[in-house]
Amino acid sequence: MNRKSIVVTLVVCIVASQISAQKRSKPRGLTEEQRIVHVLNRLGFGARPGDVERVKSMGLENYINQQLNPEKLADTLAENKVKDLAVLNMTTAELYEKYPQPGQLVRQLQNRGLLPKELAETNDKNPRENPEYRKLIQQYYKENGLEQPQRIIAELQASRILRAVYSERQLQEVMVDFWTNHFNVFAGKGADRWLLPAYDRDTIRPYALSKFSTLLQATAQSPAMLFYLDNFQSVSPNANNNRGPQMERRQQQQPQQQPQQQQRPRRGINENYARELMELHTLGVDGGYTQKDVQEVARCFTGWTIFQPRGGAAAVNALRGEAARRTPGTFFFNHRTHDDGEKIVLGHKIAAGGGINDGLKVLDILAHHPSTAKFIATKLVRHFVSDTPPPALVERVAAAFKKSDGDIRETLKAIFFSNEFNSPEAYRAKVKRPFELVISAIRTLGADTNGGPGTHQWMARMGEPLYGFQTPNGYSDAAESWVNNGGLLERMNFGVALAANRVNGTKVDLTKVAGANADKGKMIDESVKTILAGELSAATRETLMKQLDQADSLTKVVGLILGTPEFQRQ
Amino acid sequence: MNRRFFLKSGGIALASMGMSLSAPSFLERVVMGREAITGGRRKTLIAIFQRGAVDGLNMVVPFGESSYYDLRPNIAIPKPDAANAESAINLDGFFGLHPAMKPFKSLWDSKRLAIVHASGSPDNSRSHFDAQDYMESATPGVKSTPDGWLNRYLQNKKGGQESSFRAVSLTRTMPRVLMGRAPAVAMANVSEFTIRAGKSSANVQSSFEEIYAQQSKDKLAGTGRETFDAVNYLKKANPAQYKPENGAEYPSNQFGNSLRQIAQLIKADVGLEIAFTDVGGWDTHVNQGNGRGQLANLLAQFSTAIAALYQDLGQRMDDVVVLTMSEFGRTVKENGNRGTDHGHANAMFVLGNSVQGGKVYGRWPGLKTDQLYEGRDLALTTDFRDVFAEVASRHLGATDLKSVFPGYSQSKPKGFLS
Repeated sequence: MNRKSIVVTLVVCIVASQISAQKRSKPRGLTEEQRIVHVLNRLGFGARPGDVERVKSMGLENYINQQLNPEKLADTLAENKVKDLAVLNMTTAELYEKYPQPGQLVRQLQNRGLLPKELAETNDKNPRENPEYRKLIQQYYKENGLEQPQRIIAELQASRILRAVYSERQLQEVMVDFWTNHFNVFAGKGADRWLLPAYDRDTIRPYALSKFSTLLQATAQSPAMLFYLDNFQSVSPNANNNRGPQMERRQQQQPQQQPQQQQRPRRGINENYARELMELHTLGVDGGYTQKDVQEVARCFTGWTIFQPRGGAAAVNALRGEAARRTPGTFFFNHRTHDDGEKIVLGHKIAAGGGINDGLKVLDILAHHPSTAKFIATKLVRHFVSDTPPPALVERVAAAFKKSDGDIRETLKAIFFSNEFNSPEAYRAKVKRPFELVISAIRTLGADTNGGPGTHQWMARMGEPLYGFQTPNGYSDAAESWVNNGGLLERMNFGVALAANRVNGTKVDLTKVAGANADKGKMIDESVKTILAGELSAATRETLMKQLDQADSLTKVVGLILGTPEFQRQ
Repeated sequence: MNRRFFLKSGGIALASMGMSLSAPSFLERVVMGREAITGGRRKTLIAIFQRGAVDGLNMVVPFGESSYYDLRPNIAIPKPDAANAESAINLDGFFGLHPAMKPFKSLWDSKRLAIVHASGSPDNSRSHFDAQDYMESATPGVKSTPDGWLNRYLQNKKGGQESSFRAVSLTRTMPRVLMGRAPAVAMANVSEFTIRAGKSSANVQSSFEEIYAQQSKDKLAGTGRETFDAVNYLKKANPAQYKPENGAEYPSNQFGNSLRQIAQLIKADVGLEIAFTDVGGWDTHVNQGNGRGQLANLLAQFSTAIAALYQDLGQRMDDVVVLTMSEFGRTVKENGNRGTDHGHANAMFVLGNSVQGGKVYGRWPGLKTDQLYEGRDLALTTDFRDVFAEVASRHLGATDLKSVFPGYSQSKPKGFLS
């Protein structure tokens, strides 16, 4: 550090300490406007035109408290935007009926002798290379009121984009994103494509700001997670003795109901969920559990499964007007496959004969374990404050978590009202993830979007397709994962495309951003004010000035601002 | 390092590209790092994933097994028969190639193509998702491994790691196998690796270059500068004008395009060490066909594209190895839909001028009922990590195999690479 910067730092410190002495709630360093921008960036997906003024007039603290209680905020605009996305309101069983996998449906029709002749005749080539077959399938789907399963995730992704852009409940959407990543489920794994709409609607969304233990239990019993981490097929090795004849018989009688990708289920314990539950959902990798604990936890969760995880013959049955006897794709506890012996988990004895309560007891132990408080606090601080979470803050946030019995709102308050959160060190210190970048760009321009694949595709190109992360750890929350050649280039290209109205399904009106200014220098200043709260280096402004004699200068200027290093940060 | 020093030591490589001045900074390091890598010549691995689990038993046919014909009454590939164009192509009197893979025959005859049969993952998962995950992380049974094995290779290998194009995946998103701390680039198309602003592209790019040049200390801006180095360098290689050599003709599908672009990057000498691409459609549960049909069509495209790459690269194949893989094999017995279901062990191809080809490696476990894995599938005799490790050490020169394949000790190398 050279002498000049030492002097500057000292001055800042002195000024800051004077301010904090005068008024404790006011943090050192950041101006009121910067604080508002900071909160809009971190508690939400960035400011829309007019947001800064709106928050200023209602008071920042009021705004934060309002965001912490989203149920009290009307959200008509966002709800209207998503109302035509049919999958959001459908049960998993309905999705299996209406959005069947073509290959699975064809096999089931074939096995029942119901396959239309022309389809049977063209069914001998690779569907990818067989346009005729694809056409016949499309026709069959159309005639029978069916939809392709790809639609499901496309609509779910659209709903996430639309809500993030339009919802007044910005913090709620940020927390939905946070928990969706924390409890990651990959849409590409088997049946999860059909299970994810319910996961978003019934598991993550209602509990995003509730008690952690409630959320944890919801995920543990969600078909999406049970499928993703294989627990649905985790069976006590002794289960052959207590497994009733009923289920066996059903499987033998109607093997055609099982799609062929589904091989004979592997009988036996599957430890996958047990391990990730402790490593990634609660305690953290160094949270103090052993391999023996993993095995014992896995035993506790045997029998936590899904009825007809792949939908069985839901589509064929529905086509024939047959009602399902039980709802496909829902959680149920199968006591016949549960290991009912005694277990010891993290030193707690779980008595024999507990049934479903074994798993519930484990979740309770984990949710209240001190390692969990620390692990969740660390992740939240990393998300909201800094890639390198300040240990003192983590400690205070973990304490708030413990004191409130894992109340997520109370835990967040400990972050939002901390000095660390409100410090200059935290300001624009986080590199936006692609989802955050895309949404914040749309918001700052006041653009209108349908949230469709044309928009989502950009997030995928930058490396963050929603529900597209394979492994259970979810997308990284640290800059190092996102700052790379390919990703950065796509970020710049996105900015340029958005400003030029070349993002399908998203429309911008740049005169809203810069005003209809005749003075071109002013046009730049207005754009920088809207997009970067006026904070841009003089050198970069010079570069932008050079664009002014060019055609479409406003488009280019805005595209360039969206592609600056400054706009990649929040 | 100043430019003069760079030009002195790296002039040859650049001159061959028709470039003399203003080489990008990352390339200076590439050229400098060259000799440190493998005795002066850069080695490249092209890894190809057949997603969906190819039927290895119809790809490399054990026609010497009578059980093969007993268990596959409708879909077996007939024994080699000069009068039947849909019969297996004889390799060694016991194994034969699928008749649609004729383009591989001359590579086999010239001993540039080796096969490792009955290979794959020791884990018994028959889930595409899990098995692909294990093959790419190279930690079968362990899902929490954060990175892929090719990325771990890049992390561990010293020298030459600074090229922006050291690891390139010709795919829309980064595959699991290349995920991790070491930089890698994924792109569906080489021509997309640029600023795309229509007629204003050059103008917009130069503005971005200025903006990113102005913030000297910002890591993000630093990455931006490297990005533009790479973009500009690639532009000079002129991807749009690429003409395959030696009369090579790539099939005009996505896989053919991917391989053509990999060849292009290798010839452009951008420091490519790991190339990856994948090709799908192998999940043949229904009507997979025999000498003709679904699988035959796929194998024809697959082998034609790889043979075209071989031809195009010509002498450069001295320093290139192509390795193919697929997550698991398929049931030995055909199912009720004249297809095959998810099985266990499979076959892998290794190609290159340095390959000891013309041989099927790996112990053959047999196809009689008591020889099958779980009573139904081809048993495994070679762990895929043995194949990967041999390529990593003997071709790429990896020395720290323990870090690339954690928790695994390699068996004796098969010897398909010397």
